[in-house]
This record gives sequence, structure tokens and C-alpha cells, in this order.
Amino acid sequence: MNKEKLVINTIENENRVSTQNLMQQIWDAISDGCTEFDINACGQHNIGGSVWSKDGSDLNFYIKNPGQRVGAMGAKGTNIYVEGSAPADTGWLNSGAKIVVNGDSGDTTGHCAASGKIYIGGNVGTRSGALMKKDPKFPAPELWVLGSTGSFSFEFMGGGIAVICGLDCEDMPSVLGDRACVGMVGGIVYVRGNIKNLSDDVFLLDLDENDIEFLKTGLKTCLTELKKEEYYDKLCNFEPATTPWHKIVAKTYEERQKQNNISLKTFRVNKWMEEIGGSIFSDLITDDFQSHDLVQTGDARLRKPSWKNYAYSAPCEYNCPIKIPTQKRFSMLRAGKIKEALELVLDYSPFPASVCGQVCPNLCLNHCSRGNFDEPLDVKMLGSLSKDIKIEPVEITHNEKIAIIGSGVAGISAAWQLRRKGYYVEMYESADKIGGKLSQVIPEERLHKEILETELERFKSIGVKIHTSTKVTPKLFKEIESNFDAVIIAIGGHNPVVIPFEGYERLIKGLNFLKDAKNGKKYNLGEKVVVIGAGNAAMDVITEVYKQGGVKEVTAIDIREPSAFEKEIKAAEKLGAKIMYPCFTQKITEKGVYLKDGRFLEADSVIISVGDRPIFDFLNKDYLDEKSRIQFNEFMQTQNEKVFVIGDAIKPGLFTNAIADGKHVSDNVIKFLSHETLTPVKEKDLIPSKRIKSEYYECYNSNCDNEQNRCMSCGYCRDCGLCKQSCPQNAISRIEKENGKYEYISDPNKCIGCGICAGLCPCGIWEIEWCQ
Amino acid sequence: MTKVNINSISKDDLPWIVEYDSEKCMLCGHCVAACSFDAIKVDVQKRKKVRAISNEEGFQIDEDQKAIPVIRQVIDANNFCRGCGICTKVCPNGAIKITRNRTEIFGTRYRAKTSQSVKRGGRSNLHTEGRTLDKIKVGRISQMTDPSLDALRHTFDLRTNLGRVVSPDNLNFDIENGELKEKPNQNLPVNTSIYPIMFSDMSIGALSPRMWEAIAIATAYLNEVKGIPIRMATGEGGIPDKLLKSKYLKYMILQIASGHFGWNRIINAMPYMQEDPAGILIKIGQGAKPGDGGLLMAEKNVKLIQEIRGVPKADLLSPPNHQGLYSIEESVQKMFLSMNCAFKFKVPVAIKVAASSTSVSVYNNLLRDPYNIVGGFFIDGLQGGTGAAHEISLNHTGHPIVSKLRDCYLAAVHQGKQGQIPIFAGGGIGMNGNLAADTFKMICLGANGVFIGKLILQIAGCVGNDFGKCNGCNTGRCPVGITTQNPKLMQRLDVDRVAENIVNYICATDIELKKLLAPVGNSTLPIGRSDALVCVDRNVANRLDIQYVC
Repeated sequence: MNKEKLVINTIENENRVSTQNLMQQIWDAISDGCTEFDINACGQHNIGGSVWSKDGSDLNFYIKNPGQRVGAMGAKGTNIYVEGSAPADTGWLNSGAKIVVNGDSGDTTGHCAASGKIYIGGNVGTRSGALMKKDPKFPAPELWVLGSTGSFSFEFMGGGIAVICGLDCEDMPSVLGDRACVGMVGGIVYVRGNIKNLSDDVFLLDLDENDIEFLKTGLKTCLTELKKEEYYDKLCNFEPATTPWHKIVAKTYEERQKQNNISLKTFRVNKWMEEIGGSIFSDLITDDFQSHDLVQTGDARLRKPSWKNYAYSAPCEYNCPIKIPTQKRFSMLRAGKIKEALELVLDYSPFPASVCGQVCPNLCLNHCSRGNFDEPLDVKMLGSLSKDIKIEPVEITHNEKIAIIGSGVAGISAAWQLRRKGYYVEMYESADKIGGKLSQVIPEERLHKEILETELERFKSIGVKIHTSTKVTPKLFKEIESNFDAVIIAIGGHNPVVIPFEGYERLIKGLNFLKDAKNGKKYNLGEKVVVIGAGNAAMDVITEVYKQGGVKEVTAIDIREPSAFEKEIKAAEKLGAKIMYPCFTQKITEKGVYLKDGRFLEADSVIISVGDRPIFDFLNKDYLDEKSRIQFNEFMQTQNEKVFVIGDAIKPGLFTNAIADGKHVSDNVIKFLSHETLTPVKEKDLIPSKRIKSEYYECYNSNCDNEQNRCMSCGYCRDCGLCKQSCPQNAISRIEKENGKYEYISDPNKCIGCGICAGLCPCGIWEIEWCQ
Repeated sequence: MTKVNINSISKDDLPWIVEYDSEKCMLCGHCVAACSFDAIKVDVQKRKKVRAISNEEGFQIDEDQKAIPVIRQVIDANNFCRGCGICTKVCPNGAIKITRNRTEIFGTRYRAKTSQSVKRGGRSNLHTEGRTLDKIKVGRISQMTDPSLDALRHTFDLRTNLGRVVSPDNLNFDIENGELKEKPNQNLPVNTSIYPIMFSDMSIGALSPRMWEAIAIATAYLNEVKGIPIRMATGEGGIPDKLLKSKYLKYMILQIASGHFGWNRIINAMPYMQEDPAGILIKIGQGAKPGDGGLLMAEKNVKLIQEIRGVPKADLLSPPNHQGLYSIEESVQKMFLSMNCAFKFKVPVAIKVAASSTSVSVYNNLLRDPYNIVGGFFIDGLQGGTGAAHEISLNHTGHPIVSKLRDCYLAAVHQGKQGQIPIFAGGGIGMNGNLAADTFKMICLGANGVFIGKLILQIAGCVGNDFGKCNGCNTGRCPVGITTQNPKLMQRLDVDRVAENIVNYICATDIELKKLLAPVGNSTLPIGRSDALVCVDRNVANRLDIQYVC
């Protein structure tokens, strides 16, 4: 039903009709069946929007001078023709209307249009076509513009088709203004003309056949609607070489996810390192830029293990001044090599039974790893077992002759080493027997005569020429100096030190007292005895004092903490002696000892035992310093390069220190005689106690009667194979070598440096270190 | 028998407890192979079981005694577990994990045992200060008053400036053909447009070469591929010659601190420089350890570092102050003028100080700057991080950054000189993970930009945190290769991945910054626009002169 066209003039009685009243007129007319509207508007808004006829027939609006939002929310079946231009929001939310604007249209033309068609004969403003979308249940919206758009056009466009013809815009830098299609996710924008600064969200493509077909058909309709058919040919230039037409489509979701930028690696390699000429540090370090896993093998490991068998001293060996490798002896015993084990010690000391087994304080035992666990091994017993081992004399194979002055443990040790290495050795001894303090001073309670004699005999058996009761005079020394290729002074300390307190002449010298006692001489010491000094020798004095009998009270005094070993002190105290310190003696009278702090110690006898000095009366003063001490270097060599000095002649020490000196000096004497460079004493480091695993042992397992099985073999491989078995990478193998020797190695290509081998090794052989 | 001494450090005293499940462990060795702190070791555990039963054969006793391999925590004042968690990461069986020991006794034990001060990396672990920035919200939203912008799709200009900005009175223009034109020979100071986030000054030495280069590569990439004009401050640990002579120098802000390390090489490289550096930063102090100088432990002073710094193997302790500087005026004269001269007045010269009660006086003094040579003022707050410091400095010295920045900015406003000497603020920026929020708030409070350090390391894969985890940067044993000079540990770091993570994080931050700019309707940085902020804490609001809301 098409009632007559309704003509509305929106000025009534010189008053402008309001948008609401205009709308009311239109709605009323539609209810009455009117479908044609000729509206001479006066800026009223929303004309032609959201209206529909009851019967579904088209509604046609012919409008002049409309306000904003012409055809906004336009419905299907609404046709709007604007003569001239329209302001903003033409076709906003168009949902099916056809809107034809002859002239220009303002901002946001076609904003959110979801269906219908909009034809604009001129230009459109900013943000036109923004958020256009396509509902699949309805035909796609179309926006046709003969001219250009303002900036930010087609922002967030989600669907539909826009055609911007750029007519008469050929000189514009961009027919879409600035930053078109920002956030566009769907739809197509056809553009004819220049485009600048398009968003990254879209692709600019050439037209294909379907596009051209669509445009040809569509432009015909568009130009017909706009009554501008004359431009058809001008717009329809689709020749590939010259066409100004392009198509803008949104990137797909997948394309949007893609990073178009070059990768960081490509940038580093092709730009950064290319420009710089390698890494910025490449002139300082080498780096392949490979990144490594947290667990690695080979060179990339943090740490690496190494099998360091016998690279460290066991505590017994380390603490023994002679460095007797007791762990090695026990290892031999475990292997059933009893003879070899008992002989081995003789390479180090001629006195295993007398010293190790008897008089030595056994520093080896004090530090035995087993002692940290239950009880130290019985090294005394082991030493004693070597008492009767015989040594075959060796032939003299060198021409050089060596003289040794003094036959105490130092001299005997040196002679023992040199003679057994094939050198001719002569010894000079002022006493009538050899053995020095072992023979002359040590009480028999501490050193069985038979044991000492057996070992002295063994020493004599190797063939050293010994001159006893031969005191070396300056004249004899000169002869020795010229007749021998090397001389070792090993005279010990036989001059007891006396401190010149008032009344010092009353003092009994400790060394003389001990020597006398050993020879059976009796002293009448009275009931109360004070011993000045609290070293090991003083403890020997105390023992002897009690042995003399008749003594009721013995006091040892010292200016500092006693230097005697705890064991010796305990023994003295057990006899009843009292040890006091610090005590500074002022004077000695027949009544006793007066101390500087005013105390008085009653004494019938006072014995001084604060050390014994060597007597160098046979040396000319070139050998001595201003305090009459002998001068020597780190190789124990005196001013005269062929004269060496060892033992207590240098510094008071234990028997083991003297034996060690003898052993060490013999090496340097041989080097000297062979014209080799002398070397200082080399010491292996002590194996860290944490590396010895006591967890493998039973505590106080008294049923274990073999000491060798109690030995923890510190730092000395026991070839148990636990490392090989437990390596998680199977990197460890055991290599057989000559003479029954073997070695464990870890394959760096398999090893990850976990340190399980080191952590589990009972003996601490495997060492795990940081790789460099 | 194992001897237990009540006075020695025990497992209970350590900051982290290693929990090990021997039943699950298959002794693959991965945990011990991967631990860089020597904090766990393989050991033997003795087990003994005695069983008894009385049956028809009488009273039967049998015994099972064996030693089994286990992983044990090392109990040591130096090699102790720092909780980095690498062992847990590599364990295929979930047999080992670490938990924080809730007691804080370790510091006491350590001091008592070693008579040394506690040293570590990271930042303050005390958390007593709270996070001022989190109490501030961006509360002025464009809602019908003015159009807000679309953060994702609209264009923003996020650049700030580095370099002296002169007062308009000092700008002289001619009008030529209807256009303003600068009068010639005015000697206007150099000014550059850069991104408001700067990679803070971490030295080569503190960082591994790989880490340092990864940041440099990320910087170049952000500039050249992403178009984000970010700058990297180099720290003072020497600069590789190759970088000095490359075009990428233009993204680098060279630092001169009290040690002057590596400056001889910079000077020697000058004739060969293709580009000017992006700036010079004179470091007076840093927020993590104000009043203390750089500290590079000997463990990290390897050959490379010795060479580029020109020093022997030793703990490197930079003096706490520049040896020749005694006053602000002297600093301006000596340091600013010299650095301007060295680069022919073409490079902005800025200064970095630890935030202090005295910062405003310093800034006021600098603002006079009659020579136009002070190109920036960097203030570093107490939540800044470091590669090595005495813990007492980290936890107990310093000044929070937020009010200090605000005070300095308002001091400039008071004189009408805001913006003339750009302020950059740092120290805990982004420590809650959100750099954009902190940056935006700091900018609104008056900062021209911020600088970040610790955050970059976390982006790169740092496993540490501010609750005592790891913080072992000073040891040179960084388990992820960031703060180590050990080549094996450094190789754990994937340079490309690190650079990519940094680039990604900055790109994300860029988006998020826009997400804050858009709702307040700014398309450029709202420097000093404190009306954009509101605060849920009345005291903070009063102190910062922003709106209190609840």
C-alpha cells in the first residue's frame, strides 16, 4: 500500500520542529500506511533510523539538510536519499537500510554498520567505517565513498565491505587519511589512490578477478544511485599495470600471532656480530654462544674427578717426621705380603722397634683416622715386628767417601741410608758405644736393652766403619774435612743448658743425671726435688728421680705451658709429680727455689732440664754465627758445601726428627756428590679427614684381630671397585698395569662430574675439582 | 664416632634446608653435578638394624649393617645452600627439594664464626618498607570528561628526554618565512629523545660477558627492530673495545664511577668511534648500598675483567666517593664539565646518586647549572639491587625512592624549573613484576623516566628473590650464568633467549604503559601529572601531595 507521499517541512510558524515531533509525524504516517517521505529538514537527528512498515514494504525518505545520524540504526527496507551533504554518523549502526548521500558525509560515517548499503557522493570524515561488522545471518554491510576518508578510518573493522574511490583525490598523500585500519580484524576495504601509514594489522593486496567483478557491478549500482554514471569509466581502470585500486584485508588470527620481526638469533648473528666483527668480547674470550644444560659431560662439566692414589699422605705418614707410610704397610699386610711390609719400614728408619715400637710418642697414632672413629691402630706393635728383620749388606758401588761425626740416631740414620745406597761411610763417636741418647740417656724402662742392641747390631751389619771413643778435635776435623768427600755433623746436644740464676751452681744438670743414672750411679736427692723445665726430657728426669727412690715430692716448673707430650705428663703425674707454670725462678738456695712472684718451693735437690746444646768445639768460627750456633741452609748444608749438619746439632727434637734429618740429608749428600741440584724436603699434603669414610667400618669391632683390616687406608686405594660399580654414567674403568699395578680412570665423555666416586670412596682417593 | 660440637654451624642454622629422600633417589648424580654452590655432596650413611625374635629355636638375633650412599647437605659457613633450587630442577625423581629455614640465625652464626660481615647480592630482604607504589592507583580515568584512548591501536609517543633543557627565556628564535627558526650560535645544550625505561648500570664483572652482551643485543634490537629507543647504561667495569668502535655505541650510556675502570680504553677508542655514546652517567652512589663503593669479589675478577679494568686479581673495592670530589660545585665543575668537554658537548651528561635525605639540596644546587651542562639527575632508592654488597648496607641503609623523586620534582616546580634537568628514578622499580605500573606512577610523580637492573636479571632467568632465595651473585657461582665469570656456569645462559626475553618484556611493558596512558587520555608521557594518581594510604597521599581515596 502506497499512500501519497508525505512532504514534511520542518519549519512551522517560523519554529523548527523538534526531532521528537518530526519522528512522531513520521511514525504516525507509517502507521497510516505512508511509505514515501519528502523531508525538508532543519538539522533534525536520526531521520530514517529504526523505522519499518507493518507490511514489510519499503519506506523511502528523500531528505534535504539532515542533522546527524541519518539512517542510524536503519532497518532493512528503508531507503534514504540525501540531497547534498550529511553531518556525522550517517548510517551509524546501519542494520539493513540503503543510504545515499549525494554530497559529503561527516565523521564516523557507517560506524558500526552491520548490514545495508551506504553510498556517499563526496568525502567522509574521520573514523568512518570504524567497527563495521558482518553478521552471518544478514548480508554484509557496504560503504561506498566516491571521495576520500578522514584519518583513523575503518578502525577495529570486523566485517563488511568498504569502497573508497578516491575520485578527484589523486593528489592526496592518502585517500584514507592517517593510520587507517588500526585494529581491523575482518572485512575488505577497496581503495583507489594513495595510501599512507596504514596499520600493521592489515595487508595491502592487488585485486583479483572476483574483486574486479564485484567492483564493476557495484560501481555501476553506486554511480547510478548517486546519479554520477559519467565517472564509471574513469573509476573502472583495472589494468594491472596502471590500476590505482588496492584491496585491504585484515590479517587472520593466525597471521596476527606470527612475529614478523627477525629472531634475536638472526639479529645477533647477521646484524650485531656482523657489524662488530664477532661478539663484543671476541678479542678477549672465545665463546661459541652454545647454551648448555645444567648437567653436562666432557669439557662443559662444572667439576671433574681424578683418581689420586697416594697423592696425599695418610695422617700416620704425614705426622711421622720420617714419613713412614704406615698405610702402605697395612695395605701390604692385607695383601698377605708380610715380609715386604715389615721390610718397608727399614727403608725409612733403622730403628722401627726401638723408636716406633718403644720410645717414640707415636704422632702417627695420635692422628690416625681410625682414632676419630674408635681407637687408633697399633703402630707400636707393627714397629716392634720389624725388630728381627735382617738386611743383606750391599756392596760399595761409589768412590766417594762420607764421614759422619756422631753416632746418635741422626748419624746412624744418615749412615744407614748412605751405606745401603752403596756409599762408603765412616763414623766418629766420642763415647765408647754408638747409639747416642738411645744408648746413653733413655731409661731402660722406656727402651729395652735387648731391642736396642738388636737394632744397633743390624746397623753394624751393613758395614759402616765406626770409630768409637774418638773425640773429634779441631785437628781431626780438618783431616776429616780433607779426606772425605762429604761430612755430616750429627753430634746431638750434649751440653745441658744452665740458666745463671743466683745459686745456679747448686743445680744438677738433667742430661748428666740421666746419663749417670743409666750407668747405675745413685744420687742422694733428698725428699723434695724441683725440676726446672717441663719438656719431654724433664719428664724422663722425673721418672728417673722416682726410680732413684726416697723421694716424696717432685715438682716440675716451667715458664710456659709444658712442652712435654700429654702422655709423658700424665705418666709423670701418675708417679706423683706436680707440674706448675708459669714459674719464673729468682734464686736457688740450700732451702729450695724462690720464684719471682714471691712463692717458695722447698727443695733438697734442684735439677735443671731445659734443653741441651751441641758442642761445636771442633769447628772453626767460620761455621758458626755470632751466638756460636752453626749456620746452615734449607738443605742442612753449612758454610762449607760438603759439610752438612743434622739432628739435635741444629735443633732439639724427637728421635724421629733426628732420623728424618738423617734420611733427608742422605738424599742431598748423594745429590751433592753427583753434582745435582739440592732440594728441600718435599712433603705431600695431608689427606683431608672428611674424605675418609668411617661409615664402612664397624665400631670397636674387637673380634677383628687383624689391625690391617681396621686400617682405613687413607688416601691409598684398596682396589674395592666401589667407584666403578656406583658411577651412574658407567664412566669409570679399571686399567691393569705392569707389576700388578692398576689405575682407575673416569671417561670425561661419559662423566657428569657428580662426584659419586669421590663421595663414596672409602679411602678418599677420588678427588672432585672444579674444571678450569 | 662423629663428634658433634654445639658451637659449630649445624644444619638447623643454615638459611635453607635440603630435604632428601633416599628412597626416591636413584643416585644419578644430577643434583650434585649441577649445584654450583657446592652445597650438597655425595656421602655415605651407615645403617644398622638389629632384629630379634624368640621362636622354637630360642632367642634369635640377627643384624643387618651396611653403609649406603646418600646426598647430604654441606654444612659450612661459606659453601651453604642458597636455595637456588637447581637440584630440584634436575632431579628426575623428585627426591630432593629445598625449604627456607624460618630462623634467621645463620647471619648470627656466620658473624660469630668468621668475624666477617655478611655479604651477598640481590636487594633488601627485609620488606619492612612496604611498597609505596602499590598503594597508588591510576585513578583519574577519562570517563565522559574527555575521550580515553585505545591502548592497543592508537599511537602514542612514549619518549622522554635526556639532556639539559634550557628555560624558554634562554631560547632565541628568528621568524623566517613565517616559521620559527633557532638563532645560530646559541650553544644550546644537547638533548635526546629516549624511551623512559633505561637498562640500569650493571658492570661487566658483576655480570657475565654473556649476560652483559645479551642486554646490549636486546637494546640494539629494541631500537632497530622494534623502534623502541631504549638506552643501556653500561656500569663501570670497562667497555669492550669492539663495542666502543661500533655503531651500537649510540645506544650506550657510558658510566664513570669512583674506580674509573676502563676509562683509559674509552679515551683511546675515541678517535675510532663511529657514533657518540647516548650519554655519560657519573655514578656517585647506588641505592642498594648507598655510601659504599663497587665491590667485586676476587672470585669474579677473572682475566677478562683484570684486562678491561686494568687491575690485578684481588677483591675490587671501589672507593665510596670520587677521590677528587669534595662538594657539589666541584662535581659540576670537574665531572660535568670534563665529560661534556670529552665528548665535545654533544653527549648528555647525567649524574646518579643514591637517594638520601640530602638529595633535594643536591638537585636544587644542580638546577642552578649556569653552564647548561647537567643533563640528568638519577636517583636510586633503597630497593635497588646489586651484585655484591654488605648485607647491612642492603637491609639497613638507604632512602625509599618515591617520596625522594617527588620532593626533587616539586623542588624544581617550586622554582619553575621542572623538566630542565630530567630526573630518572630507580631502586625496586618493577620489583612486584609490573614495570609499566611503577614506571607510569613514577612518571606521574615527576620522573622523566626510570631505570631497572635486578628486574632485567629476573627476566633473564635469575632464580633469586627478595625472600632470601639465592642472592649469591657475589660468590661468582650464579647457577644460571648471569652473575658469574666462570665459563662453565656462564654457558648455562642462552644469549639469544635472554635477549629475546628482555625484548619481549619491554614490548609487553610498552603495551601496558599504553594501557595506563590510554585511560587517562594521554598520548604522551604524563610527566608530573600527579592528578592522574590517587592513593589509598592517607599518609602516603599527604606526603606525595596526591589525592587520598578510600
